[in-house]
Amino acid sequence: MQTAIFTTLLVASLLFFAWSVYRRLSLVLLGLPEERFDQPGRRLSEMFLYAFGQLRVIKKPFGLNHFVIFWSFVILAIANGEFLVNGVFPSLSLALLPEGLHRALLVAFDVVSLLTLFAIALSFVRRIVVRPPQLDSLYVKGRSPEAFAILSFIALLMLAYFGMHGAIIAQGREAAASAMPVSTVVAAWLTHAGVDLTLVESVSWWVHALVLIAFICFLPLSKHMHILTAIPNCYFGALNWPATQPRETFEKGAVYGVGSVERFTWKDLFDSFSCTECGRCQSVCPASITGKPLNPRQVVHAIKTNLLENGPALKDGRKGTLPLIGDEGEGTNTEDAIWSCTTCGACMEACPVLIEQMPKIVKMRRHLVETESKFPEELLNLFENMEQRSNPWGIAPGERAKWVSTLPVKPFVAGETEYLLYVGCAGSFDSRAKQVTVALATVLNAAGVSWGILGKDEKCCGDSLRRLGNEYLFDKMAKENVEIFRERGVAKVITLCPHCLTTLKNDYRQYGLELEVVHQSELIADLIKKGRIKLDGSEKSLGKIAYHDPCYLGRHNDIFEAPRTVVQAVTGSAPQEAERHGRNSFCCGAGGGRMWMEEFIGDRVNHTRVDELLAEKPDTVCVACPYCMTMMEDGLKDRGAGEVKVRDVVEVLAEGLLHKKG
Amino acid sequence: MLVVVCVKQVPDTTQVQIDPVTNTLIREGVPFIVNPYDTHAVEQALRFKDRYGCRVVAISMGPPNAEATLRKALAQGADRAVLLSDRVFGGADTLATSKVLAAAIERLAQEDEVGVVICGKQTIDGDTAQVGPGIATRLDFAQLTLVDRVDELDLSARRIKVSRKLEGRHEHVEAPLPVLLTVVRELNRPRYPTVAMRLESADAQVEVWDNSVLGLDVNTIGLKGSPTWVSRIFSPERAKGEMLGDGAHDPEGAAQLLIDKMIEKDLLAL
Amino acid sequence: MTDAVKPPKKPRGKAQLLENKCIACGARCQSACPVDAIQMNDAGEPIIDPSRCIGCVKCVKVCPVQAIEMAFTPEELRILQELAAASGGEVVEEDPEEAALKKKLAAYRGVWVFIEQTEGEAAKVSWELLGKGKELAQARKAPLCAVVMGDNVEKLCAEAFGYGAETVYLMDAPVLRHYRTEAYQKSLCALVEKYKPEVILMGATGLGRDLAGVVATILATGLTADCTGLSVDEKGNLMQTRPAFGGNIMATIVCDKFRPQMSTVRPHVMPMPEFDPQAKGEIVREPVPIAENDVQVKVLDILMDGGGSKVDIAGAEFIISGGRGMMAKENFSMLEELAEVLGGVVGASRSAVDAGWMPPDRQVGQTGKTVRPKVYIACGISGAIQHLVGMQDSDVVIAINRDPEAPIFEVASYGIVGDLFKVIPALTQKLRTLKAARSGAK
Repeated sequence: MQTAIFTTLLVASLLFFAWSVYRRLSLVLLGLPEERFDQPGRRLSEMFLYAFGQLRVIKKPFGLNHFVIFWSFVILAIANGEFLVNGVFPSLSLALLPEGLHRALLVAFDVVSLLTLFAIALSFVRRIVVRPPQLDSLYVKGRSPEAFAILSFIALLMLAYFGMHGAIIAQGREAAASAMPVSTVVAAWLTHAGVDLTLVESVSWWVHALVLIAFICFLPLSKHMHILTAIPNCYFGALNWPATQPRETFEKGAVYGVGSVERFTWKDLFDSFSCTECGRCQSVCPASITGKPLNPRQVVHAIKTNLLENGPALKDGRKGTLPLIGDEGEGTNTEDAIWSCTTCGACMEACPVLIEQMPKIVKMRRHLVETESKFPEELLNLFENMEQRSNPWGIAPGERAKWVSTLPVKPFVAGETEYLLYVGCAGSFDSRAKQVTVALATVLNAAGVSWGILGKDEKCCGDSLRRLGNEYLFDKMAKENVEIFRERGVAKVITLCPHCLTTLKNDYRQYGLELEVVHQSELIADLIKKGRIKLDGSEKSLGKIAYHDPCYLGRHNDIFEAPRTVVQAVTGSAPQEAERHGRNSFCCGAGGGRMWMEEFIGDRVNHTRVDELLAEKPDTVCVACPYCMTMMEDGLKDRGAGEVKVRDVVEVLAEGLLHKKG
Repeated sequence: MLVVVCVKQVPDTTQVQIDPVTNTLIREGVPFIVNPYDTHAVEQALRFKDRYGCRVVAISMGPPNAEATLRKALAQGADRAVLLSDRVFGGADTLATSKVLAAAIERLAQEDEVGVVICGKQTIDGDTAQVGPGIATRLDFAQLTLVDRVDELDLSARRIKVSRKLEGRHEHVEAPLPVLLTVVRELNRPRYPTVAMRLESADAQVEVWDNSVLGLDVNTIGLKGSPTWVSRIFSPERAKGEMLGDGAHDPEGAAQLLIDKMIEKDLLAL
Repeated sequence: MTDAVKPPKKPRGKAQLLENKCIACGARCQSACPVDAIQMNDAGEPIIDPSRCIGCVKCVKVCPVQAIEMAFTPEELRILQELAAASGGEVVEEDPEEAALKKKLAAYRGVWVFIEQTEGEAAKVSWELLGKGKELAQARKAPLCAVVMGDNVEKLCAEAFGYGAETVYLMDAPVLRHYRTEAYQKSLCALVEKYKPEVILMGATGLGRDLAGVVATILATGLTADCTGLSVDEKGNLMQTRPAFGGNIMATIVCDKFRPQMSTVRPHVMPMPEFDPQAKGEIVREPVPIAENDVQVKVLDILMDGGGSKVDIAGAEFIISGGRGMMAKENFSMLEELAEVLGGVVGASRSAVDAGWMPPDRQVGQTGKTVRPKVYIACGISGAIQHLVGMQDSDVVIAINRDPEAPIFEVASYGIVGDLFKVIPALTQKLRTLKAARSGAK
C-alpha cells in the first residue's frame, strides 16, 4: 500500500517537475542564438571551478555555508536517490553495494546531514537576525515565504532522515548502525524518550517522502531552479571576460538592441533562470550603492518575470504585453536604471554563477539609442561631437597634437617606430590629461622607447559610444580606425587610457584587427623590470599614495600589478589599498559613458569612492585613467580635500625620475 | 500642405584656417557638416509634420556631394529631398542663392501648396543671415526671422504665431501663411536619427535639379548673378590673452585695469 | 586712326594658374570663362585648357586672390615690348562695357545710415555707423545722410545731426511704430529709388539684418553682412571686411557693379563719434508708402528680457559664471550684484551646480548649456575641458582665479590672478560709480 501510494505520488511529482522545467526552459529557446558550445574542455574546467568548486561563492565568508549545503546536496543526492528508488522498489537499496563502500556512504550521509542542519540553522539566523541588506530588492525579499519554505524543506528532510534511521537503529534493524554515528545518537534519544519507534519510523519516512516530493514539485517554480541551471550556466559562461559587446549588423529591416525580452539571446534568458537572488551584484554595484534606480539583480529578475509573463504569447507568435523597458513595475526596467550603469563590471565579477548582467544593460541601451532615439539630453552633444569631430568635446581635430608643442615627438612610421602611442581624446585635449601625456612622452624618451603618434589623423576609439549603446556610430568609427591602423602598418600600441586599451584590444578584435596593445602602466612596469628605467625607490614628495584601480584596466583587462609595481619602484613601498581594491575595486563613476552624463539621482559615485580613499588618509591618490583622474580630482575638491593630490601612475614615475639622486 | 526646409552643407568652420605662408585657405581634411542652425529648422519642420501631417521637403543648393546633408534631413524624417546642383549655380552670393532656392520652392509649389518655408538663422560659413529674407522677398511670403518659439500654427485661419529673439527683447508676432521662418538654436532640440531611418535615407532618392529644371536666366544666378565678390582673404589677428595687474596684492588696481580694458573695447553697456 | 601702318596684332596670352594661390572660391573663373576652357578639379581648383583659352582675361579679373595670370611665350613678350615701345608707354584701352558701368554707377551718390530704433530709442550701433559713414562720405566727397523711420521719432533727427548726419530722411507714421519687415522695406525701397544713395549702412542687429536682406533683394544689389571694417577705394567701391568661417578667416568683399552698396555692420566695432549738440541739418520728410491695412504681420507683444523670472543663459550677452572657487552658495549674491550692474545673468560650472549653489538650468558646459555671450566672466572656475567647450565661443572671456596655472586662463582674453572675493566687489563698486557718473552726465 505504502509503495503504491508513494509510487503514484512520485510519478506524478516527476511528471509535474518535468513539465514545469520544460515550460520554463523552453522559454529560453525564444531567445536569439549565441555561440556558447565551443571549447568544451575549458568550459568543463570553468564549470568545475565555479559550480562544483564554488570559487565565487566562498569569496564571501557566509559563502562557506552555501558550500556546505551545496556539497551536502550532492552527497545526499545519492541517499535521496536511494530513498526514492527504494520507495518504489523496496528490494533495491545501497545495502546491495560492497560492505565497505556502503558503510563509507552511510558515514558520509550521517555527518553531512548534520552539517547541513547546522548550515540551515545558520541560514535562518542570517535571514532573521542578521538581515543582510543585499538579500532584499524591490520585488524580492530575503525573508520571503519562499526562502523560508526551502530552508524548512531541507531542515525537515534532515530531521526526517535522522528520525527514520534513529528509529530503525533503535529497533535494532540496522546492520550498519555503527557506520551511522549521528543516527545512533538519535536512536539513543528515542529509546530514552520511550516513544513508539515504529510510529516514529513511519512518520519520519512519510515526512521524508512527502517533503522530497514537494521539493521536486516546488523547485522549478522557485528561485531554487538555480539548482538545475547554475551548473550548466557556469558551463555556458563567457570564456573571455566580456569587456566587449557583440557586434550588430546594420542592414535594412534589422532590429537593434533589446527592446523586448525575446530579443535577448538564449544565454541571457538562461541567466535569468540561474539567478539565486543572492544580491551580491547589487551589493557591489556603484549605481545601487549610491541610490540610483539600477540594481543588476533586478535587471535579471525583470528579464525572468517578463519572460514568464510574455512567454506564452511569444510562443504563439504574438507580441508580449508587459514592456521590458518602461515605467517602474515588476518585469520592466526603467530607462533611468538602464542609463545608470557605469559598465564597471563589478556585478559580473561578483556573481557566483557567472551571470552577465552588464551586457544586457548595454543591449537595452542599444535599443533606446538606435531604435527609439531616446537617451538623456546631454548625450546628443556627445553623439554629434563624436560623429562630426571624432572626440567627445567637439574640439577641432586639428588640435589633437597640440600637446606636442613642448616636446620633440615623431609621427608613427611603420618600420621606423616600434610603438604607436595612441594618445586618446582626453590625453590630446583635456588640459589635465595632457600633462599625463607629456609625462608619458618624457618617460618613454628617457627609457629609449621607439614610438610615434598619428597626430591629427588619430580618431576617437569610440569606447563611450559602444558602452552607451550607440553601436551604429561605434561601428563606423571602429571601421575607420581599423582602416587607419592597417594602412599605417600599426602592430604595437601604447594607450594612455584604459578605455582606449580595452577598445583597441578587445573590441577591434571583432573587426579582424589583432594588435599588441599595452597600457602605459604595463609598459613602464616592464621597462623598470628590464632595468631600462632606473629608480632608487626614494621618492617621498608624493607622501602616502593610495591607488585606485580603474575598472577598465583592472577588472576588464586584468592589469592590477603593473601600476602597483611602478609605485613600489618609485617610492620604495607598495601603495595604500582602499577597502575595495583590485578585482573588487569600486568605480569612479565615469565609465560606460557616464562621464558625459549628469548624475541627478542619489549620491555621486565619485564622492563615495573618494570617501573610501580618504579613509586611508593618503597624500596622493594614484590613478591610471583620465576619467578616474577627473572624477577623483572633482570628488576630492567637493569633499574639501583639495590638498590631496591626484597623479597618474606615469606622473608618479616621472616625479621619481626627476628627483632621483645622481 | 508642404513645409519646405532649406539646408546647407558647410565646412566645419572650426577646422578652417589660413595657411600663414601661402595665405590661402587650408581646405584639406576639413569635413563638411550640416549647417547647425539648419538642423533646428529641420526639427521644426518635422514637428509641423508630426502635428499637422504636412509633408516636409528638404532642399539644398550645392555641389553633388551636398547630397549627404539632404540624407541627414531624410534620416531625421523629411519626406523628400531635392538638391539644386548645377555648374551655373556655382560661385553664388546670397542674392543669387536666394534666386535659385526661391525658384525651386516655386516649382515645388506647382505640385502642392507651400505653407511654410523654414531656414536656419544663418550659415556658419557665411554668417550672413541674408538668404532667408531673400527667399521670402522673392516668393512674396511673410517673413519672420530669428524665431525661438512657435506658439501656434492655425491651418484653418492660415496664421502663425511665433516669438522672435531680438537684442534684449522678445517679440510675439502673428503672420499670415505662407510664411518664411528663420530659426535660432534655442527653438528646439533636433531629434537624433534612428539607425533604421539612417539606413533608409542612405538609399533614398535625392532628386537633383539642375538649371534645365528651373530654367533661370544664367546671368541672374551663380557667379554671374552675384553682385558681391571676395577680393581678399586673410587671417584675423588673434588677440592673445592678457593678464591684468597684480590681483593677488592689488585687487582694486586689477579691477580698475579690467574696467579700463572693457571701456577701451566698448564692452560695457552701462 | 592710322590704317596705313599695320602694327602686329597685340598678343593676348593664355591664362594660367599660379601655384598655391587658389582658395577654391567656388569656380568663379570657370563661370566667367566664355569658351569653357576651365574645368574644376576635386579640390575646387581650375584646370585651364590653353588650347581653348582666347586670352580674354575674364578669369584673371574675376579671381578674388589673383591666382590666375596671363602667360606669354617669349615671342609674344617681344611683340608686346615692341608695341609698348611703339606707343611710347602703356596702351590704354577703354572697355566700352566699363564705360557704361561707370555711367550707371555715377547716378548713385551719398552715404546713408539707417537709424534703427525701438520705441523711439535709437540703437547705439546706428550712431557708430554715422561716425564711420562720415569718413566714407568724406572720401567720396558726398553727403552723409540718415534715414529715420518710426512713429513720432522726429526727435531722433536732431540726434542724427549731432552724430554727423547732414540730411535726415524722415518717415514718420503710426504704421511704422513697430518694426515690421513689409512696412519698413517698402518705405526704405521707396526712398532709395527716389534718392539713389551709393552706400547704405545698417547695424548688424536682428532688425537690421532682417531689413537689409529684403531691401537688397528687391533692389537686386549686393549686401555684405556683419562687417567689421569699411573703407572705399579710388573707384568708389566699398571694401567691406568681415569675418567668415566662424571668424577663422577675414574676407574683404566688394560690390563693384551694382549700387547702392549695402552693408550691415557689427555693433561695438566702429568707434562712437563725438556728439555735437549744435549740429544742424536738413530734414527731408517723405510720405510712408504703405497703410496699416496692407501690413499682414501683427506685433502682439514685446517682452524686454530680464523682466521675467526665467533666466535664459543661452541667449544672454553678459554672463558672470561662478565655479567651485565661489566656496558657498551665499557668495553667488556677489555675482548677482555684478551681473545686475553689467546687465547680465549668472551662470555656473558643473561643480557649483552639483554643490547646489545654483540651479541646473544655469549650468554652462558639456552637459549643460553652450553659451556665446559677448562677455563671459569666469569667477573661480578652473576651466576643465567640460566647462570650456560650453563657453569658449564667447566673444570675450574674462577669468578671475586664484591659481595662475588654471586652464581657464588659456582661453581668457583678460585674466586676473587673485582673490575673487576682493576683486569682484571692487569691480562691482567701480562699475556702479562709473554707471552713476555716466547717467549723471546724460
